[in-house]
Amino acid sequence: MGWGVIIEYKSMFINGFINTIILTIVAIIFGTILGLILGLGKMSTRAYFRIPCSVYVEVFRGTPLFVQILSIHTVLIPGIWQTFLPNADTPSAMFTGFVALSLNAGAYIAEIFRAGIQSIDKGQMEAARSLGLTHAQSMKLVILPQAFTRMLPPLGNEFIALLKDSSLLAAIATPELGYAAMTVAKNTWERLPAFGTAAIAYLILTLFLSKIVVRKLEQKYTPR
Amino acid sequence: MMKKSWLPATVLTLSLSMLLAACGSGGGQPANSSGGAGKEKFVVATEAAYPPFEKMEGDKMSGYSIDVIQAAAEAGGFEVENRNTTWDLVFTDLENGKVDASISSITITDERKQKFDFSEPYFEATQLIMVPEDSTVTKLEDLKGLKVGVQIATTGDTVVGRVLGATNQDIKRYDDLPSAVDDFFNKRVDAVVADNGVIKYFADQIKGGKYKLLKDDSFEKEHYGIMVKKGNKEMLDKINNGLKIIKENGKLKELQSKYFPE
Repeated sequence: MGWGVIIEYKSMFINGFINTIILTIVAIIFGTILGLILGLGKMSTRAYFRIPCSVYVEVFRGTPLFVQILSIHTVLIPGIWQTFLPNADTPSAMFTGFVALSLNAGAYIAEIFRAGIQSIDKGQMEAARSLGLTHAQSMKLVILPQAFTRMLPPLGNEFIALLKDSSLLAAIATPELGYAAMTVAKNTWERLPAFGTAAIAYLILTLFLSKIVVRKLEQKYTPR
Repeated sequence: MMKKSWLPATVLTLSLSMLLAACGSGGGQPANSSGGAGKEKFVVATEAAYPPFEKMEGDKMSGYSIDVIQAAAEAGGFEVENRNTTWDLVFTDLENGKVDASISSITITDERKQKFDFSEPYFEATQLIMVPEDSTVTKLEDLKGLKVGVQIATTGDTVVGRVLGATNQDIKRYDDLPSAVDDFFNKRVDAVVADNGVIKYFADQIKGGKYKLLKDDSFEKEHYGIMVKKGNKEMLDKINNGLKIIKENGKLKELQSKYFPE
């Protein structure tokens, strides 16, 4: 058999590859939106806004993603569906993946946003305000564009981490890359071909993210 | 000065001793050291998440398989230390010589026989299909087009793969059977295929879920065996001898009717 098992199981690997990409893209989009809200919320002067955001970030950064995935899959989502949508089918493992990865990424991205914004010199805000801009205008027109440049490298790191962490979803039988590798390795005993193929596929994806996507964004948003 | 320096020193000493302790138990020979009473002690790997065959009760392992290996050991004059691990490591640790034998509801198959040696069988199993009570499914073939949950790399996985195609996305492979049954009751999968003994156990355990268990005549009878490293004849003979005694003196039958009352 050897590496031939990859041909035999190629449709699983192709599906897994596509699903891993879909999971990562969805989590990047929703995680970034959530992260922006939480990051700004954490810097709010209003306690009723700031405290829940801080608690959220601490909880999701302070517990393992694996535990979050299992809790969301077996407790949270079935619970919500049984309570509010008793006649509908409980959504699949892919849905759990979207939810768990987005919620988790949101917490990390919130900290990236906060750090990026706070790294901008106070004088920038003061200057903008003294020119007559409101706080919100200054944030949108002056602070965020500058902060965004500084956020790109850590955001790139986060997206790569997210891509790799999606493999944890194999535990709940999500048909992603790690699941394909696990199925083939355990059913055929051909472990090197199975895990080797998955590793190479992940490497292709992470290299694409870091060398092409993030680099292009950095070039575009770095002031010259 | 004294006050400050004791903490790092203590931490260092503690972590070093822990490291040494870890090395001592982890590395080297598969703990088959002679016990005090002159009885040899063997380490047996089990994935204790397959009740009523193997499960954890507090920090102790229990179940049919555990009782069988303990009874066989007692009859055969050796001692057994049960070690909880994962389904995957049940095989890998044995292959790498980290344990002496594995008992984990392992079906004796020709494929596995190429890599390991098996004892005489200690349980006869067949596969059952678990479907909702109002399901129209009557046989394995009817599962085509439905989402089927199995435990990864088990006989259930193999038989469903044979009918649906091994790479079919409708097969949902779980690391453990409880997760598959859980998703069955959460309606994420339409059916679960697994060994009779375990699925029956869940049928009794989980209340409120409406389901039925189906037999398919195309399923072959299977036998569970105790697995040892290929060529480890000494270990195999000891186990087979113990099994033979408890088969003859009725102990095995007694355990069977205790765990699987018909």
